[in-house]
Amino acid sequence: MWTIKRFPLLWLLPALLPVLLMTLYPIGHALWTSLHRVMILFPGEPFVGLDNYKRVMASSYFYDALKNSLVFTFFAAPSVVVIGVLVALFLQRRFFGSQIVRSVVLLPWVLPGAISAVLWIWVFHPSFGVLNAILRSLNIIDRSIPWLISPQLAPISVTIAHVWTQIPFAVILTMAALSTINSETLDAAALDCRSSFKRFRYVLFPEIRSMIVVLLVYNSLIAFTGYDLVYAMTSGGPGTATTLLSFQIWRESFSMYDFGAGSAVAFIVVLISATLIIAITRALPSDLFGGDEP
Amino acid sequence: MTGRLNPVLTFFFAAVIILFTGGPVLLSLYGSLVPDRILLDSSKSIFTEGPNFETYRYIFTGELPKSYLTEGANRAMISDAARQVPQSLINSAIIAFSAMSLNLLFGAPAAYIFARYVFPGKKLTFLFLILSPLVPAVALITPIYMALQSIGLVGTRLGIILVHTAKALPFTVLILSVFFRKMPAEIFEAAVLDHCSRFQSFFRLALPLAMPSIGATGLFAFMLSYSEFMFSLVLSGDARTRPVSVVMAALARNTDVSWSLLNTAIFIAIIPTLVLVILVWKFVVEGLLSGAVKG
Repeated sequence: MWTIKRFPLLWLLPALLPVLLMTLYPIGHALWTSLHRVMILFPGEPFVGLDNYKRVMASSYFYDALKNSLVFTFFAAPSVVVIGVLVALFLQRRFFGSQIVRSVVLLPWVLPGAISAVLWIWVFHPSFGVLNAILRSLNIIDRSIPWLISPQLAPISVTIAHVWTQIPFAVILTMAALSTINSETLDAAALDCRSSFKRFRYVLFPEIRSMIVVLLVYNSLIAFTGYDLVYAMTSGGPGTATTLLSFQIWRESFSMYDFGAGSAVAFIVVLISATLIIAITRALPSDLFGGDEP
Repeated sequence: MTGRLNPVLTFFFAAVIILFTGGPVLLSLYGSLVPDRILLDSSKSIFTEGPNFETYRYIFTGELPKSYLTEGANRAMISDAARQVPQSLINSAIIAFSAMSLNLLFGAPAAYIFARYVFPGKKLTFLFLILSPLVPAVALITPIYMALQSIGLVGTRLGIILVHTAKALPFTVLILSVFFRKMPAEIFEAAVLDHCSRFQSFFRLALPLAMPSIGATGLFAFMLSYSEFMFSLVLSGDARTRPVSVVMAALARNTDVSWSLLNTAIFIAIIPTLVLVILVWKFVVEGLLSGAVKG
Protein backbone atom coordinates (compact mmCIF):
# COMPACT_ATOMS: atom_id res chain seq x y z
CA MET A 1 0.00 0.00 0.00
CA TRP A 2 1.40 3.36 -1.05
CA THR A 3 0.96 6.72 0.52
CA ILE A 4 -0.29 9.83 -1.25
CA LYS A 5 0.36 13.19 0.39
CA ARG A 6 -2.58 15.00 -1.12
CA PHE A 7 -6.28 14.04 -1.01
CA PRO A 8 -6.91 12.35 -4.42
CA LEU A 9 -9.92 14.50 -5.23
CA LEU A 10 -10.01 13.66 -8.92
CA TRP A 11 -10.31 9.95 -8.20
CA LEU A 12 -12.87 10.24 -5.46
CA LEU A 13 -15.08 13.10 -6.57
CA PRO A 14 -17.09 11.11 -9.15
CA ALA A 15 -18.10 8.65 -6.43
CA LEU A 16 -18.55 11.17 -3.63
CA LEU A 17 -20.48 13.84 -5.49
CA PRO A 18 -23.65 11.87 -6.38
CA VAL A 19 -23.77 10.36 -2.90
CA LEU A 20 -23.27 13.78 -1.33
CA LEU A 21 -26.00 15.33 -3.46
CA MET A 22 -28.45 12.54 -2.78
CA THR A 23 -27.82 12.25 0.95
CA LEU A 24 -26.61 15.49 2.51
CA TYR A 25 -29.60 17.67 1.72
CA PRO A 26 -32.28 14.97 2.22
CA ILE A 27 -30.73 13.82 5.51
CA GLY A 28 -30.43 17.41 6.67
CA HIS A 29 -34.04 17.98 5.75
CA ALA A 30 -35.17 14.82 7.55
CA LEU A 31 -33.17 15.77 10.64
CA TRP A 32 -34.75 19.23 10.64
CA THR A 33 -38.19 17.64 10.29
CA SER A 34 -37.58 15.31 13.21
CA LEU A 35 -36.95 18.32 15.46
CA HIS A 36 -40.04 20.25 14.39
CA ARG A 37 -43.73 19.60 14.50
CA VAL A 38 -44.56 19.00 10.84
CA MET A 39 -48.16 17.98 10.39
CA ILE A 40 -50.32 18.71 7.40
CA LEU A 41 -53.34 19.59 9.55
CA PHE A 42 -51.52 22.14 11.70
CA PRO A 43 -50.13 25.29 10.11
CA GLY A 44 -46.67 26.48 11.07
CA GLU A 45 -43.73 24.26 11.85
CA PRO A 46 -42.58 25.14 15.38
CA PHE A 47 -39.34 23.83 16.82
CA VAL A 48 -40.13 21.16 19.41
CA GLY A 49 -36.68 19.79 20.23
CA LEU A 50 -36.71 16.11 21.07
CA ASP A 51 -40.48 15.98 21.59
CA ASN A 52 -41.06 13.84 18.50
CA TYR A 53 -38.50 11.31 19.72
CA LYS A 54 -40.07 11.15 23.19
CA ARG A 55 -43.55 10.80 21.77
CA VAL A 56 -42.53 8.02 19.40
CA MET A 57 -40.66 6.10 22.07
CA ALA A 58 -43.58 6.37 24.48
CA SER A 59 -46.09 5.10 21.95
CA SER A 60 -47.58 1.66 22.35
CA TYR A 61 -46.18 0.12 19.16
CA PHE A 62 -42.58 1.24 19.54
CA TYR A 63 -41.08 -1.59 21.62
CA ASP A 64 -43.03 -4.27 19.74
CA ALA A 65 -41.81 -2.94 16.41
CA LEU A 66 -38.24 -2.51 17.69
CA LYS A 67 -38.19 -6.06 19.04
CA ASN A 68 -39.64 -7.45 15.78
CA SER A 69 -37.09 -5.56 13.68
CA LEU A 70 -34.14 -6.69 15.81
CA VAL A 71 -35.28 -10.33 15.85
CA PHE A 72 -35.93 -10.20 12.11
CA THR A 73 -32.46 -8.75 11.42
CA PHE A 74 -30.68 -11.15 13.79
CA PHE A 75 -32.21 -14.15 12.05
CA ALA A 76 -32.43 -12.93 8.46
CA ALA A 77 -28.99 -11.36 7.87
CA PRO A 78 -26.81 -14.23 9.22
CA SER A 79 -29.08 -16.80 7.52
CA VAL A 80 -28.60 -15.12 4.16
CA VAL A 81 -24.82 -15.03 4.59
CA VAL A 82 -24.50 -18.60 5.93
CA ILE A 83 -26.78 -20.13 3.28
CA GLY A 84 -25.18 -17.97 0.59
CA VAL A 85 -21.66 -19.09 1.53
CA LEU A 86 -22.71 -22.76 1.76
CA VAL A 87 -24.41 -22.65 -1.63
CA ALA A 88 -21.41 -20.83 -3.13
CA LEU A 89 -19.00 -23.45 -1.73
CA PHE A 90 -21.22 -26.17 -3.15
CA LEU A 91 -21.46 -24.53 -6.57
CA GLN A 92 -17.67 -24.23 -6.84
CA ARG A 93 -17.52 -27.92 -7.70
CA ARG A 94 -18.39 -29.19 -11.14
CA PHE A 95 -20.97 -31.91 -11.48
CA PHE A 96 -23.56 -32.97 -14.01
CA GLY A 97 -26.03 -30.08 -14.22
CA SER A 98 -23.96 -27.63 -12.16
CA GLN A 99 -24.55 -24.96 -14.82
CA ILE A 100 -28.30 -25.32 -14.39
CA VAL A 101 -28.12 -25.00 -10.60
CA ARG A 102 -25.89 -21.93 -10.97
CA SER A 103 -28.55 -20.31 -13.16
CA VAL A 104 -31.57 -21.33 -11.10
CA VAL A 105 -29.97 -19.84 -7.97
CA LEU A 106 -30.24 -16.41 -9.62
CA LEU A 107 -34.02 -16.63 -10.08
CA PRO A 108 -35.12 -14.92 -6.84
CA TRP A 109 -33.04 -11.92 -7.87
CA VAL A 110 -34.86 -11.11 -11.10
CA LEU A 111 -38.29 -10.98 -9.47
CA PRO A 112 -39.45 -7.52 -8.39
CA GLY A 113 -40.17 -7.40 -4.64
CA ALA A 114 -43.93 -7.10 -5.00
CA ILE A 115 -43.91 -10.28 -7.07
CA SER A 116 -41.80 -12.24 -4.57
CA ALA A 117 -44.40 -11.34 -1.96
CA VAL A 118 -47.25 -12.65 -4.13
CA LEU A 119 -45.41 -15.90 -4.87
CA TRP A 120 -44.66 -16.53 -1.21
CA ILE A 121 -48.23 -15.77 -0.19
CA TRP A 122 -49.17 -18.44 -2.72
CA VAL A 123 -46.73 -20.85 -1.05
CA PHE A 124 -47.84 -20.10 2.51
CA HIS A 125 -51.56 -19.51 1.92
CA PRO A 126 -53.54 -21.37 4.63
CA SER A 127 -56.20 -22.85 2.34
CA PHE A 128 -54.82 -22.65 -1.23
CA GLY A 129 -51.13 -22.68 -0.33
CA VAL A 130 -48.76 -25.10 -2.03
CA LEU A 131 -46.82 -25.88 1.13
CA ASN A 132 -49.91 -27.08 2.97
CA ALA A 133 -51.05 -29.04 -0.10
CA ILE A 134 -47.71 -30.85 -0.29
CA LEU A 135 -47.62 -31.59 3.43
CA ARG A 136 -51.21 -32.84 3.26
CA SER A 137 -50.58 -35.13 0.33
CA LEU A 138 -47.57 -36.60 2.11
CA ASN A 139 -49.82 -37.22 5.13
CA ILE A 140 -47.51 -35.22 7.40
CA ILE A 141 -50.34 -32.97 8.57
CA ASP A 142 -54.08 -33.45 8.63
CA ARG A 143 -55.03 -29.83 9.32
CA SER A 144 -53.79 -26.81 7.40
CA ILE A 145 -50.97 -24.94 9.12
CA PRO A 146 -51.78 -21.19 9.37
CA TRP A 147 -48.34 -20.04 8.15
CA LEU A 148 -49.19 -16.36 7.76
CA ILE A 149 -52.01 -16.07 10.27
CA SER A 150 -50.54 -17.43 13.49
CA PRO A 151 -48.51 -14.86 15.46
CA GLN A 152 -45.84 -17.51 16.13
CA LEU A 153 -45.45 -18.71 12.53
CA ALA A 154 -45.90 -15.48 10.58
CA PRO A 155 -42.49 -14.00 11.55
CA ILE A 156 -40.82 -17.28 10.53
CA SER A 157 -42.64 -17.36 7.19
CA VAL A 158 -41.73 -13.78 6.27
CA THR A 159 -38.11 -14.39 7.32
CA ILE A 160 -37.91 -17.40 4.98
CA ALA A 161 -39.35 -15.33 2.12
CA HIS A 162 -36.91 -12.46 2.84
CA VAL A 163 -33.90 -14.80 2.99
CA TRP A 164 -35.02 -16.29 -0.33
CA THR A 165 -34.96 -12.88 -2.03
CA GLN A 166 -31.43 -12.06 -0.82
CA ILE A 167 -29.64 -15.38 -1.41
CA PRO A 168 -28.57 -14.87 -5.07
CA PHE A 169 -26.59 -11.74 -4.24
CA ALA A 170 -24.76 -13.49 -1.39
CA VAL A 171 -24.01 -16.50 -3.59
CA ILE A 172 -22.68 -14.36 -6.43
CA LEU A 173 -20.36 -12.25 -4.30
CA THR A 174 -19.09 -15.23 -2.30
CA MET A 175 -18.37 -17.20 -5.47
CA ALA A 176 -16.57 -14.22 -6.94
CA ALA A 177 -14.49 -13.84 -3.77
CA LEU A 178 -13.75 -17.58 -3.61
CA SER A 179 -12.52 -17.56 -7.19
CA THR A 180 -9.95 -14.85 -6.54
CA ILE A 181 -8.11 -17.07 -4.06
CA ASN A 182 -4.67 -18.04 -5.29
CA SER A 183 -4.71 -21.59 -6.62
CA GLU A 184 -1.36 -22.36 -4.96
CA THR A 185 -2.91 -21.56 -1.59
CA LEU A 186 -5.63 -24.07 -2.33
CA ASP A 187 -3.20 -26.77 -3.44
CA ALA A 188 -1.13 -26.30 -0.30
CA ALA A 189 -4.27 -26.46 1.81
CA ALA A 190 -5.36 -29.67 0.11
CA LEU A 191 -2.04 -31.23 1.12
CA ASP A 192 -1.94 -29.90 4.67
CA CYS A 193 -5.55 -30.24 5.82
CA ARG A 194 -7.55 -33.40 5.59
CA SER A 195 -10.85 -32.24 7.01
CA SER A 196 -12.71 -29.96 4.67
CA PHE A 197 -14.16 -28.06 7.61
CA LYS A 198 -10.70 -27.17 8.86
CA ARG A 199 -9.70 -26.21 5.35
CA PHE A 200 -12.60 -23.82 5.23
CA ARG A 201 -11.95 -22.48 8.73
CA TYR A 202 -8.22 -21.84 8.31
CA VAL A 203 -7.70 -21.29 4.58
CA LEU A 204 -10.86 -20.26 2.74
CA PHE A 205 -12.56 -18.23 5.46
CA PRO A 206 -9.68 -15.79 6.07
CA GLU A 207 -9.49 -15.20 2.31
CA ILE A 208 -13.18 -14.32 1.93
CA ARG A 209 -13.57 -12.70 5.34
CA SER A 210 -13.80 -9.14 4.06
CA MET A 211 -16.46 -10.12 1.52
CA ILE A 212 -18.43 -11.81 4.30
CA VAL A 213 -18.24 -8.60 6.34
CA VAL A 214 -19.53 -6.63 3.35
CA LEU A 215 -22.39 -9.10 2.93
CA LEU A 216 -23.28 -9.03 6.62
CA VAL A 217 -23.30 -5.24 6.72
CA TYR A 218 -25.36 -5.02 3.54
CA ASN A 219 -27.87 -7.62 4.68
CA SER A 220 -28.29 -6.19 8.16
CA LEU A 221 -29.02 -2.83 6.58
CA ILE A 222 -31.50 -4.32 4.12
CA ALA A 223 -33.26 -6.28 6.85
CA PHE A 224 -33.34 -3.43 9.35
CA THR A 225 -34.28 -0.54 7.07
CA GLY A 226 -36.50 -2.27 4.50
CA TYR A 227 -40.02 -3.47 4.99
CA ASP A 228 -41.66 -3.84 1.53
CA LEU A 229 -41.71 -7.62 1.35
CA VAL A 230 -42.89 -8.20 4.89
CA TYR A 231 -45.56 -5.55 4.61
CA ALA A 232 -46.79 -6.89 1.27
CA MET A 233 -47.09 -10.38 2.75
CA THR A 234 -48.77 -9.71 6.10
CA SER A 235 -49.50 -5.95 6.38
CA GLY A 236 -47.67 -6.13 9.71
CA GLY A 237 -50.10 -8.58 11.23
CA PRO A 238 -51.43 -10.72 12.76
CA GLY A 239 -51.74 -8.08 15.47
CA THR A 240 -48.27 -6.56 15.59
CA ALA A 241 -46.41 -9.86 15.08
CA THR A 242 -44.62 -8.74 11.90
CA THR A 243 -44.77 -4.94 12.30
CA LEU A 244 -41.25 -3.64 11.65
CA LEU A 245 -39.78 -0.41 12.98
CA SER A 246 -38.92 0.86 9.49
CA PHE A 247 -42.54 0.44 8.46
CA GLN A 248 -43.54 2.85 11.24
CA ILE A 249 -41.65 5.63 9.43
CA TRP A 250 -44.00 5.21 6.51
CA ARG A 251 -47.07 4.88 8.73
CA GLU A 252 -46.34 7.97 10.82
CA SER A 253 -45.42 10.08 7.78
CA PHE A 254 -47.73 9.08 4.98
CA SER A 255 -50.68 7.50 6.73
CA MET A 256 -50.92 9.70 9.85
CA TYR A 257 -49.31 12.77 8.20
CA ASP A 258 -47.06 13.27 11.22
CA PHE A 259 -43.80 13.85 9.33
CA GLY A 260 -41.94 14.92 12.48
CA ALA A 261 -42.64 11.61 14.19
CA GLY A 262 -41.83 9.68 11.01
CA SER A 263 -38.41 11.32 10.72
CA ALA A 264 -37.79 10.73 14.42
CA VAL A 265 -38.35 6.99 13.92
CA ALA A 266 -36.02 7.17 10.90
CA PHE A 267 -33.17 8.57 13.01
CA ILE A 268 -33.74 6.00 15.72
CA VAL A 269 -33.37 3.42 12.94
CA VAL A 270 -30.16 5.16 11.79
CA LEU A 271 -28.68 5.05 15.31
CA ILE A 272 -29.46 1.36 15.75
CA SER A 273 -28.19 0.35 12.31
CA ALA A 274 -24.97 2.31 12.88
CA THR A 275 -24.53 0.37 16.12
CA LEU A 276 -25.17 -2.88 14.26
CA ILE A 277 -22.55 -2.05 11.63
CA ILE A 278 -19.95 -1.14 14.23
CA ALA A 279 -20.75 -4.36 16.13
CA ILE A 280 -20.30 -6.42 12.96
CA THR A 281 -16.97 -4.84 12.04
CA ARG A 282 -15.73 -5.24 15.62
CA ALA A 283 -16.80 -8.89 15.84
CA LEU A 284 -15.22 -9.74 12.49
CA PRO A 285 -12.16 -7.54 12.17
CA SER A 286 -11.00 -7.21 8.58
CA ASP A 287 -8.67 -4.87 6.73
CA LEU A 288 -11.70 -3.34 5.07
CA PHE A 289 -12.43 -0.43 7.35
CA GLY A 290 -9.10 0.41 8.93
CA GLY A 291 -7.21 0.56 5.67
CA ASP A 292 -3.85 1.56 7.20
CA GLU A 293 -2.18 -1.80 6.93
CA PRO A 294 -1.89 -3.56 3.58
CA MET B 1 -12.19 -28.15 -4.89
CA THR B 2 -13.12 -28.84 -1.28
CA GLY B 3 -13.21 -32.56 -0.50
CA ARG B 4 -15.24 -35.14 -2.35
CA LEU B 5 -18.95 -35.65 -1.92
CA ASN B 6 -20.56 -38.80 -3.14
CA PRO B 7 -22.90 -38.35 -6.15
CA VAL B 8 -26.06 -39.05 -4.14
CA LEU B 9 -25.31 -36.23 -1.70
CA THR B 10 -24.39 -33.90 -4.56
CA PHE B 11 -27.66 -34.68 -6.26
CA PHE B 12 -29.54 -34.19 -3.00
CA PHE B 13 -28.02 -30.75 -2.32
CA ALA B 14 -28.54 -29.68 -5.93
CA ALA B 15 -32.20 -30.71 -5.71
CA VAL B 16 -32.72 -28.82 -2.44
CA ILE B 17 -31.13 -25.66 -3.86
CA ILE B 18 -33.18 -25.86 -7.07
CA LEU B 19 -36.42 -26.50 -5.18
CA PHE B 20 -35.89 -23.66 -2.72
CA THR B 21 -34.73 -21.02 -5.16
CA GLY B 22 -36.73 -22.10 -8.20
CA GLY B 23 -39.86 -23.59 -6.61
CA PRO B 24 -41.95 -20.44 -6.26
CA VAL B 25 -41.07 -19.40 -9.82
CA LEU B 26 -42.16 -22.80 -11.16
CA LEU B 27 -45.51 -22.24 -9.45
CA SER B 28 -45.85 -19.01 -11.33
CA LEU B 29 -45.00 -20.67 -14.67
CA TYR B 30 -47.70 -23.26 -14.00
CA GLY B 31 -50.17 -20.53 -13.01
CA SER B 32 -49.53 -18.62 -16.23
CA LEU B 33 -50.34 -21.62 -18.42
CA VAL B 34 -53.71 -22.59 -16.97
CA PRO B 35 -56.78 -20.35 -16.52
CA ASP B 36 -57.95 -19.75 -12.95
CA ARG B 37 -60.94 -22.07 -13.15
CA ILE B 38 -58.64 -25.03 -13.84
CA LEU B 39 -56.12 -23.97 -11.20
CA LEU B 40 -58.74 -23.89 -8.45
CA ASP B 41 -60.52 -27.04 -9.61
CA SER B 42 -58.78 -30.02 -8.04
CA SER B 43 -60.17 -32.46 -10.63
CA LYS B 44 -58.56 -30.65 -13.57
CA SER B 45 -54.90 -29.89 -14.23
CA ILE B 46 -52.56 -28.91 -17.04
CA PHE B 47 -52.38 -32.58 -18.02
CA THR B 48 -56.08 -32.88 -18.73
CA GLU B 49 -56.63 -29.44 -20.26
CA GLY B 50 -53.34 -28.68 -21.98
CA PRO B 51 -51.41 -25.40 -21.67
CA ASN B 52 -53.21 -22.19 -22.50
CA PHE B 53 -51.47 -19.18 -24.03
CA GLU B 54 -54.42 -16.77 -24.19
CA THR B 55 -53.07 -14.48 -21.47
CA TYR B 56 -49.71 -14.22 -23.24
CA ARG B 57 -51.54 -13.22 -26.41
CA TYR B 58 -53.53 -10.60 -24.50
CA ILE B 59 -50.42 -8.86 -23.15
CA PHE B 60 -48.75 -8.58 -26.55
CA THR B 61 -51.74 -7.98 -28.84
CA GLY B 62 -54.55 -6.80 -26.56
CA GLU B 63 -56.86 -9.56 -27.75
CA LEU B 64 -59.06 -10.58 -24.82
CA PRO B 65 -58.86 -14.24 -23.73
CA LYS B 66 -61.96 -16.26 -24.68
CA SER B 67 -62.79 -17.22 -21.12
CA TYR B 68 -63.33 -13.55 -20.25
CA LEU B 69 -65.78 -12.95 -23.06
CA THR B 70 -68.28 -15.57 -21.95
CA GLU B 71 -71.53 -14.62 -20.26
CA GLY B 72 -71.13 -13.54 -16.64
CA ALA B 73 -67.33 -13.35 -16.71
CA ASN B 74 -65.82 -10.75 -14.41
CA ARG B 75 -64.15 -8.19 -16.65
CA ALA B 76 -62.35 -6.60 -13.69
CA MET B 77 -60.03 -9.62 -13.74
CA ILE B 78 -58.32 -8.15 -16.80
CA SER B 79 -56.13 -5.14 -16.13
CA ASP B 80 -54.59 -2.69 -18.56
CA ALA B 81 -51.51 -2.62 -16.38
CA ALA B 82 -50.58 -6.03 -17.75
CA ARG B 83 -50.30 -4.51 -21.22
CA GLN B 84 -47.69 -2.02 -19.94
CA VAL B 85 -45.26 -4.83 -19.15
CA PRO B 86 -43.33 -4.84 -22.48
CA GLN B 87 -42.82 -1.04 -22.42
CA SER B 88 -41.88 -1.13 -18.73
CA LEU B 89 -39.20 -3.71 -19.51
CA ILE B 90 -37.63 -1.29 -21.98
CA ASN B 91 -37.79 1.50 -19.37
CA SER B 92 -36.23 -0.72 -16.73
CA ALA B 93 -33.49 -1.81 -19.13
CA ILE B 94 -32.58 1.82 -19.92
CA ILE B 95 -32.68 2.91 -16.27
CA ALA B 96 -30.83 -0.08 -14.83
CA PHE B 97 -28.20 -0.10 -17.56
CA SER B 98 -27.49 3.62 -17.12
CA ALA B 99 -27.33 3.28 -13.34
CA MET B 100 -24.93 0.36 -13.71
CA SER B 101 -22.65 2.19 -16.17
CA LEU B 102 -22.54 5.32 -14.00
CA ASN B 103 -21.82 3.18 -10.94
CA LEU B 104 -18.83 1.47 -12.55
CA LEU B 105 -17.60 4.69 -14.13
CA PHE B 106 -17.77 6.65 -10.86
CA GLY B 107 -17.08 3.82 -8.44
CA ALA B 108 -14.10 2.02 -9.95
CA PRO B 109 -11.51 4.84 -9.58
CA ALA B 110 -12.57 5.49 -6.00
CA ALA B 111 -12.50 1.79 -5.13
CA TYR B 112 -9.01 1.49 -6.63
CA ILE B 113 -7.67 4.42 -4.62
CA PHE B 114 -9.27 3.07 -1.43
CA ALA B 115 -7.83 -0.38 -2.04
CA ARG B 116 -4.24 0.51 -2.90
CA TYR B 117 -3.35 3.86 -1.36
CA VAL B 118 -3.21 5.60 1.99
CA PHE B 119 -4.06 9.29 1.87
CA PRO B 120 -5.16 12.02 4.26
CA GLY B 121 -8.90 11.97 4.87
CA LYS B 122 -9.20 8.33 3.78
CA LYS B 123 -10.98 7.08 6.90
CA LEU B 124 -13.40 9.99 6.90
CA THR B 125 -14.44 9.63 3.26
CA PHE B 126 -14.72 5.86 3.56
CA LEU B 127 -16.82 6.21 6.70
CA PHE B 128 -19.07 8.68 4.93
CA LEU B 129 -19.61 6.26 2.05
CA ILE B 130 -20.37 3.37 4.40
CA LEU B 131 -22.73 5.30 6.64
CA SER B 132 -24.64 7.14 3.90
CA PRO B 133 -26.99 4.22 3.09
CA LEU B 134 -28.06 3.95 6.74
CA VAL B 135 -30.96 6.35 6.50
CA PRO B 136 -34.12 4.48 5.49
CA ALA B 137 -35.34 5.48 2.03
CA VAL B 138 -38.84 6.32 3.29
CA ALA B 139 -37.48 9.19 5.35
CA LEU B 140 -35.67 10.69 2.35
CA ILE B 141 -38.37 10.38 -0.23
CA THR B 142 -40.05 13.75 0.41
CA PRO B 143 -36.89 15.94 0.28
CA ILE B 144 -35.51 14.06 -2.74
CA TYR B 145 -38.82 14.45 -4.54
CA MET B 146 -38.87 18.18 -3.82
CA ALA B 147 -35.26 18.63 -4.89
CA LEU B 148 -35.75 16.76 -8.17
CA GLN B 149 -39.00 18.58 -8.84
CA SER B 150 -37.28 21.94 -8.54
CA ILE B 151 -34.89 20.98 -11.35
CA GLY B 152 -37.65 19.37 -13.41
CA LEU B 153 -36.53 15.76 -13.19
CA VAL B 154 -39.69 14.26 -11.70
CA GLY B 155 -41.49 12.04 -14.22
CA THR B 156 -38.32 11.43 -16.25
CA ARG B 157 -36.04 8.45 -16.46
CA LEU B 158 -33.02 10.64 -15.66
CA GLY B 159 -34.31 11.39 -12.15
CA ILE B 160 -34.69 7.70 -11.35
CA ILE B 161 -31.27 6.94 -12.84
CA LEU B 162 -29.61 9.57 -10.61
CA VAL B 163 -31.26 8.28 -7.43
CA HIS B 164 -30.44 4.64 -8.24
CA THR B 165 -26.83 5.53 -9.05
CA ALA B 166 -26.39 7.29 -5.72
CA LYS B 167 -28.12 4.46 -3.86
CA ALA B 168 -25.84 1.74 -5.24
CA LEU B 169 -22.53 3.68 -5.31
CA PRO B 170 -21.45 3.11 -1.69
CA PHE B 171 -21.85 -0.65 -2.11
CA THR B 172 -20.21 -0.64 -5.54
CA VAL B 173 -17.14 1.10 -4.11
CA LEU B 174 -17.07 -1.28 -1.13
CA ILE B 175 -17.34 -4.45 -3.23
CA LEU B 176 -14.89 -3.29 -5.91
CA SER B 177 -12.30 -2.29 -3.33
CA VAL B 178 -12.45 -5.81 -1.88
CA PHE B 179 -11.62 -7.16 -5.34
CA PHE B 180 -8.88 -4.60 -6.08
CA ARG B 181 -7.26 -5.38 -2.76
CA LYS B 182 -7.16 -9.07 -3.63
CA MET B 183 -4.86 -8.41 -6.58
CA PRO B 184 -1.25 -9.34 -5.99
CA ALA B 185 0.78 -6.24 -5.09
CA GLU B 186 3.77 -7.45 -7.16
CA ILE B 187 2.23 -6.57 -10.50
CA PHE B 188 1.66 -2.99 -9.35
CA GLU B 189 5.19 -2.73 -7.99
CA ALA B 190 6.43 -3.90 -11.38
CA ALA B 191 4.31 -1.23 -13.00
CA VAL B 192 5.89 1.45 -10.82
CA LEU B 193 9.36 0.24 -11.79
CA ASP B 194 8.31 0.54 -15.43
CA HIS B 195 7.40 4.20 -14.78
CA CYS B 196 3.67 3.69 -15.11
CA SER B 197 1.66 6.57 -13.73
CA ARG B 198 -1.10 5.90 -11.22
CA PHE B 199 -3.58 6.49 -13.99
CA GLN B 200 -1.85 4.08 -16.36
CA SER B 201 -1.58 1.28 -13.82
CA PHE B 202 -5.28 1.68 -13.08
CA PHE B 203 -6.34 1.62 -16.73
CA ARG B 204 -3.78 -0.76 -18.16
CA LEU B 205 -3.45 -3.19 -15.24
CA ALA B 206 -6.16 -3.04 -12.62
CA LEU B 207 -9.20 -2.65 -14.87
CA PRO B 208 -8.45 -5.40 -17.40
CA LEU B 209 -7.44 -7.83 -14.66
CA ALA B 210 -10.55 -7.09 -12.61
CA MET B 211 -12.98 -7.48 -15.53
CA PRO B 212 -14.84 -10.50 -14.08
CA SER B 213 -15.13 -8.87 -10.65
CA ILE B 214 -16.32 -5.67 -12.30
CA GLY B 215 -18.92 -7.76 -14.12
CA ALA B 216 -20.19 -9.18 -10.83
CA THR B 217 -20.31 -5.72 -9.27
CA GLY B 218 -22.06 -4.28 -12.33
CA LEU B 219 -24.63 -7.04 -12.06
CA PHE B 220 -25.27 -5.97 -8.48
CA ALA B 221 -25.78 -2.31 -9.45
CA PHE B 222 -28.02 -3.34 -12.34
CA MET B 223 -30.23 -5.53 -10.19
CA LEU B 224 -30.43 -3.01 -7.36
CA SER B 225 -31.86 -0.48 -9.80
CA TYR B 226 -34.07 -3.03 -11.56
CA SER B 227 -35.77 -4.15 -8.36
CA GLU B 228 -35.93 -0.80 -6.52
CA PHE B 229 -39.55 0.12 -5.98
CA MET B 230 -40.18 3.13 -3.77
CA PHE B 231 -38.22 5.83 -5.62
CA SER B 232 -39.28 4.38 -8.97
CA LEU B 233 -42.91 4.70 -7.94
CA VAL B 234 -42.67 8.27 -6.70
CA LEU B 235 -40.37 9.61 -9.43
CA SER B 236 -41.82 7.91 -12.50
CA GLY B 237 -44.62 9.57 -14.40
CA ASP B 238 -46.95 7.89 -16.87
CA ALA B 239 -46.62 4.49 -18.55
CA ARG B 240 -43.84 5.76 -20.82
CA THR B 241 -41.35 6.11 -17.96
CA ARG B 242 -42.67 3.51 -15.51
CA PRO B 243 -40.17 0.71 -14.79
CA VAL B 244 -41.05 -2.95 -14.32
CA SER B 245 -41.04 -2.92 -10.52
CA VAL B 246 -43.80 -0.29 -10.44
CA VAL B 247 -46.00 -1.95 -13.06
CA MET B 248 -45.64 -5.35 -11.43
CA ALA B 249 -46.49 -3.95 -8.00
CA ALA B 250 -49.61 -2.34 -9.43
CA LEU B 251 -50.65 -5.69 -10.86
CA ALA B 252 -49.78 -7.66 -7.74
CA ARG B 253 -51.67 -5.31 -5.45
CA ASN B 254 -54.80 -5.34 -7.61
CA THR B 255 -56.55 -8.30 -5.99
CA ASP B 256 -59.15 -8.44 -8.77
CA VAL B 257 -56.65 -9.33 -11.48
CA SER B 258 -56.84 -12.95 -12.53
CA TRP B 259 -54.09 -15.18 -11.21
CA SER B 260 -53.13 -16.49 -14.64
CA LEU B 261 -52.80 -12.97 -16.09
CA LEU B 262 -50.60 -11.91 -13.16
CA ASN B 263 -48.39 -14.96 -13.61
CA THR B 264 -48.12 -14.37 -17.33
CA ALA B 265 -46.99 -10.81 -16.64
CA ILE B 266 -44.46 -12.12 -14.11
CA PHE B 267 -43.09 -14.52 -16.67
CA ILE B 268 -42.80 -12.04 -19.50
CA ALA B 269 -41.12 -9.63 -17.10
CA ILE B 270 -38.48 -12.01 -15.75
CA ILE B 271 -37.40 -13.94 -18.85
CA PRO B 272 -35.31 -11.18 -20.55
CA THR B 273 -33.76 -10.20 -17.25
CA LEU B 274 -32.98 -13.79 -16.40
CA VAL B 275 -31.30 -14.39 -19.76
CA LEU B 276 -29.21 -11.25 -19.35
CA VAL B 277 -28.21 -12.07 -15.78
CA ILE B 278 -27.25 -15.63 -16.68
CA LEU B 279 -25.14 -14.47 -19.64
CA VAL B 280 -23.24 -11.89 -17.56
CA TRP B 281 -22.86 -14.36 -14.71
CA LYS B 282 -21.44 -17.01 -17.08
CA PHE B 283 -18.87 -14.48 -18.27
CA VAL B 284 -18.04 -13.61 -14.66
CA VAL B 285 -17.68 -17.22 -13.52
CA GLU B 286 -15.59 -18.23 -16.52
CA GLY B 287 -13.36 -15.19 -16.14
CA LEU B 288 -12.87 -15.85 -12.46
CA LEU B 289 -12.29 -19.58 -12.84
CA SER B 290 -9.81 -19.10 -15.67
CA GLY B 291 -7.63 -17.38 -13.12
CA ALA B 292 -7.38 -13.96 -14.70
CA VAL B 293 -6.97 -12.27 -11.32
CA LYS B 294 -4.97 -14.92 -9.55
CA GLY B 295 -1.75 -13.41 -10.83
